[in-house]
Amino acid sequence: MARNEVAVVGVGLSKHVSKRRDVNMAELVWEAVSACYEDAGLKPRDIDAFATGNMPAFEGVNVPEEWGAGHWGAYGKPVLRITTGGTTGGSVAHGGYYLVGSGLYDTVMTIAFEKQSDGNSTMGLNTVALADAAAQLQLGVDPAFIAAFGGGAVGVAVYQASSYMKSSGCTTHHLDKVAALCRNNAALNPCSHLKQPGLTPEEVAKTTLLQYPIRFGHVCPATDGACAMLFTTGEKARKLTSKPAYVLSVASCSDEAALVGIAGSGTTNVDPCEQESCKLAAARAYELAGISDPRGEIDLAEPYSPFAHQMLMFYERLLLCDEGEAPSILDSGSMNLDGELPVCPSGGVISTNAIGASAMERIAECAMQIMGKCGERQVKKEVHKAVAHGWGGAVNLNVVAVLSDTPRR
Amino acid sequence: MGAKAAKDPVPRVSIPLNPVFGWTVGNWMENFFDGMKEGKILGSRCPDCGRVFLPPRMICERCFAKADEWVELPATGTVQACTEAAVKVAENGDMVDLENPEIIAMVKHDGADTCITARLEGADASIGMRVEAVLNPGAENVLDLLAAYRPMG
Amino acid sequence: MEKEAAIIGYAQTPYEADSNCSRELLVLQATRAALEAAGLKREDLDTIVTANNDYLDGRTISNMRLVEPAGSWRKNESKVEMDGAFALLYALTRILSGDHDIALVVAESQASVYGGILPGIMMLDPTFDRQRWLLNEVSGAALQASAYMDASGVSEEQIAGVAAKNLDNAAGNPLALRSLPGADAAKVMASRPLYSPIRDLMMAPLCDGACALVLASGKAAAKAEKPVWIKGVGFAHDSYLTERPLESMNSLKLAAGSCYAQAGIEDAASQIDLAEVHERFAHEELMSYEALGFCGPLQGGAFFDSGATRMDGKLPVNASGGAMGANVDCGAGLARVIEAAMQVRGDAGKHQAKGVKTALAHGQTGICAQENIVYVLGGE
Repeated sequence: MARNEVAVVGVGLSKHVSKRRDVNMAELVWEAVSACYEDAGLKPRDIDAFATGNMPAFEGVNVPEEWGAGHWGAYGKPVLRITTGGTTGGSVAHGGYYLVGSGLYDTVMTIAFEKQSDGNSTMGLNTVALADAAAQLQLGVDPAFIAAFGGGAVGVAVYQASSYMKSSGCTTHHLDKVAALCRNNAALNPCSHLKQPGLTPEEVAKTTLLQYPIRFGHVCPATDGACAMLFTTGEKARKLTSKPAYVLSVASCSDEAALVGIAGSGTTNVDPCEQESCKLAAARAYELAGISDPRGEIDLAEPYSPFAHQMLMFYERLLLCDEGEAPSILDSGSMNLDGELPVCPSGGVISTNAIGASAMERIAECAMQIMGKCGERQVKKEVHKAVAHGWGGAVNLNVVAVLSDTPRR
Repeated sequence: MGAKAAKDPVPRVSIPLNPVFGWTVGNWMENFFDGMKEGKILGSRCPDCGRVFLPPRMICERCFAKADEWVELPATGTVQACTEAAVKVAENGDMVDLENPEIIAMVKHDGADTCITARLEGADASIGMRVEAVLNPGAENVLDLLAAYRPMG
Repeated sequence: MEKEAAIIGYAQTPYEADSNCSRELLVLQATRAALEAAGLKREDLDTIVTANNDYLDGRTISNMRLVEPAGSWRKNESKVEMDGAFALLYALTRILSGDHDIALVVAESQASVYGGILPGIMMLDPTFDRQRWLLNEVSGAALQASAYMDASGVSEEQIAGVAAKNLDNAAGNPLALRSLPGADAAKVMASRPLYSPIRDLMMAPLCDGACALVLASGKAAAKAEKPVWIKGVGFAHDSYLTERPLESMNSLKLAAGSCYAQAGIEDAASQIDLAEVHERFAHEELMSYEALGFCGPLQGGAFFDSGATRMDGKLPVNASGGAMGANVDCGAGLARVIEAAMQVRGDAGKHQAKGVKTALAHGQTGICAQENIVYVLGGE
């Protein structure tokens, strides 16, 4: 359907660590960008347009492209800034798909990044809630109370996790297993942040309980990092590489925003584990991709899971099994690197979370697995079709992309 | 256009936010600041096109090359653009009148290809005017190391 | 581009210093009116792109609460954090990809709730300029104006004349926030000095408002009344302001070049009947004449003096009053596209220019117009 076939021909990642003090934001991004050009064998002059994004409020820099894009080879080119919160990286990569698919631009670099050490991300996340909290401030609610219960992703995540556990039968042991699986995968990924080779579920279970059911070991770190990808037409991709990763489809779906600024964050008007918009986006993406049986056709999944329960919850919401089945599928070993449908082979967001980049890194991992560029963490089975996901907003935004080793139809 | 928005007064709440940012300046800018502490003005040069960046940049946007050659530049330069500021921006974003107008200039140092924006001492300025940097190597805040420019003459 | 995508409906809220309502209501108002104008319902929308900015809205993920008022509930939605004119490009690519037929673009901000020009200061290089507190969008524009005046010989009076022309035109635009019927350069020159040569009346007034536009694929637009076709689009990013020659708008020139190539424009001055440019400062309009190829390099002043860009000239520019009449951050560029479409349709009422078949619209984002986008629109 798309006017142009769209394929990924290059991926670049910066180092991902807690604090990079040797480079500024624009220079950190350059690392990913420069690795991406090298991976694809292209130069800035080959690029027709850029799509970029990060979580704007976190580092206190508004439209950082104005100052930074020169570092990325974008001089004189279109630079489209797309930001949608936690889904930003996914939304930016979707931008790459549409810019190429439209026929207006042949080769597009997409860039997503976060330098959390420069900023104040809890403050950033709190402003998600503050405008709602304003109404309560007016009613005389103690600001300290609102601050304690209002914003930040952990607040929402505990309610989401407990709701998911109740409806699915997922236990805290499953959360520990997810964390161990992901951190072990991350140990094989040179660009991941938290590498914990040999970590066991029992060790995760001994980490500090933050708020039931979430322990320290179930939560993502705050990361400095960047990701860049190169999208081009199918025709050009086949000239550049013998094994491009085709983007079969992208879809996003935005649901009613949860009122996060209230004690009981995210639970007052929606059940944060429902994620109907993820199911709708996945269904649309599979439809556009010509996939009628995702369970049988998808070989690999990269759900967006900064918290352990989300890997299982989104596996279900991506329509890869019935609701409530994911915990037993995890137990079966199917989600492992050598399993039937490996999940988060990169180590997932729970191991590396440069927020704005995270949803793009899901797509990048799918592309690299299809291209066979994953080294030690390359999954055992051959990957023909993979699904990548991003989640964010006030628990209401979901983005899904389907990639493949063969073009659409 | 449909009905106009309701004209009942909207309740307003002002939320004071004081986030603290700690921007990493990176090795290139650090080198620039360290140089000024010793009274030196250091720019970075692109090995491909030879353009000199002041303040230094790590990457030349034209060549996409690492500008990793360092050059010491003279304190002298030429005004490329200037404005007389009758106002300044207050912390709340309002433009408030200045009692004494001041000159802001973009200066290209001799041998550099990009500009530094700074205050220019004196009351008159014009494009093409020759100026020199007023360095303050003992400044506590690195941002004050380059205090201003003054007309040569 | 030949009949591949068309504007089939649009709406703007009135532009006000303080709209006295929430941004969600502004977006709802613009969205509903644009859908109504297109003869469509929310259910008909395939995809929605909003244009807004976390710093202007004072909240992280500024699009997240616009899901309901922008009609994007359980729909494909994204956000461009630039002017709405750039969001329109994203919507256009979504349609041209073949995945979507009907797109809505909606842009908003409320200057009454954010700190004046602070969000612009936050765009500066944080390792140096941002913290030195000298540069901002106004002082940056003043520096650019000084460089342009020095290179071209344009006078303050000529710049004031541009502002006066637009403020006079704005009198014919019922939505404009600011208008001065019969204004002349002297009146503008008498306004409050900010950063020389910029005075209050040479700077576009920040305000509250929203605007929305419905874009349709060629197939879907065939059923619409008076579709306005997108003939070409071009977009380019320029260097950071201290690293480029300020006396010309290079990225606008590049953007115009790629737009004209798509639209088959070889001689802009004779083939374009009307232009709506996003002049956040009056001198930018003169500079845009040159970059858009309406006249030669550094000839903007003389071209203005010829009267060509006045309402009754051969190439009226900003018949709506332009951004001098109202400048909603994130919205004023999209408003230029809407105004240009109105002119092509002959629907501009009191500020309708004569015989507009092909119109140009321009939008910008960034200090000293760092990012520029240009569209050429046409009727049947």
